[in-house]
Amino acid sequence: MNENDRELLEGLQALAGVGPREAPAHIEDRLRARFRKEKRRRNLFNWAPPLIAAACMAGIALLLGMRSEAPQPVAVPSAVVARVTAPAVDEDSDESFYPLPEAEALPAMENAMVVRVQLPVSSLQLMGVPVSEERADASVQADLLLGQDGLARAVRLAQ
Amino acid sequence: MLESPSRSDGDLLRLLSGGDEGAFVEFYRKHQGMVYRFALQMSGKTEIAEEVTQDVFVVAMNSGKRYDSERGSVAAFLYGIARNFVLRALERERPYLTVLDDPAGEFEGRAVADQDIFSDLAQHERIETLRKAVLALPPAYREVVVLCDLHERDYAEAASALGCAIGTVRSRLHRARALLAEKMRAGERCAV
Repeated sequence: MNENDRELLEGLQALAGVGPREAPAHIEDRLRARFRKEKRRRNLFNWAPPLIAAACMAGIALLLGMRSEAPQPVAVPSAVVARVTAPAVDEDSDESFYPLPEAEALPAMENAMVVRVQLPVSSLQLMGVPVSEERADASVQADLLLGQDGLARAVRLAQ
Repeated sequence: MLESPSRSDGDLLRLLSGGDEGAFVEFYRKHQGMVYRFALQMSGKTEIAEEVTQDVFVVAMNSGKRYDSERGSVAAFLYGIARNFVLRALERERPYLTVLDDPAGEFEGRAVADQDIFSDLAQHERIETLRKAVLALPPAYREVVVLCDLHERDYAEAASALGCAIGTVRSRLHRARALLAEKMRAGERCAV
């Protein structure tokens, strides 16, 4: 290494030591706000499919209920969730319904309806239902308790 | 409040991807200085450095799961993202960019001490000339100088950040230093 190279490396070392060491504080504030917004968006995204499915199923079930008094199996658009069977008391079911976190904000229930759906286990975890971590990728049958407005109030495992 | 023991970058990325704000803040505070300085030294512009720092951590919060520890360190992962944003910003601002200004006086301060004012002024001037020379290098050379000489990253980490071979980093660095030495000598001749 010649004298010029040494001088250059010393100069670069000196240059490395000057200038700001930290980003301005306002960037952290902005990023934290962004993080919270993203988190809300993600939560909404996770909740939307089961709620939309429940609302669709409730609408279909009400429509069919008006046409015929006998309970019929309900057909669900394939784009929605999965299979729906006529609600019935199932001996396999865990008797207790778990209230959904956002159900408290909904109006009181005047009429209720139970619909059976097949959901990914991960979505049940988001609803606060205790399920085994090992089965997070599997799907499970669950009963949704829907109010008169078609919105889900509670859920219970059918399996 | 009790301080939680420091967690690994991998743990933090996994936690922040799951929505843990505390993990995100810890991750940000750990790496923000490095990312900001890299962007500033590459661009010479505080606005670009701020924008790039923000963009890098937005990517980390949304795509942190994509980080693969077998492909390199978290630092290399962040440098790689920062580098892409810096190059994009430089490309966008090229018609307006003047690399020779220091509007916020970001680089002033520590170079001037109080022992020998003339010697320190000369040293300050040399550093400033060198900073401008680095900023005037083509980006492919500038990024290796910033990573290896200013951030003291080894060739392997720089190669991982830049997505190229170690030999490429070594040869670019050699060429970049030669260009810098040339610019510095030309500067001295002009000063005389």
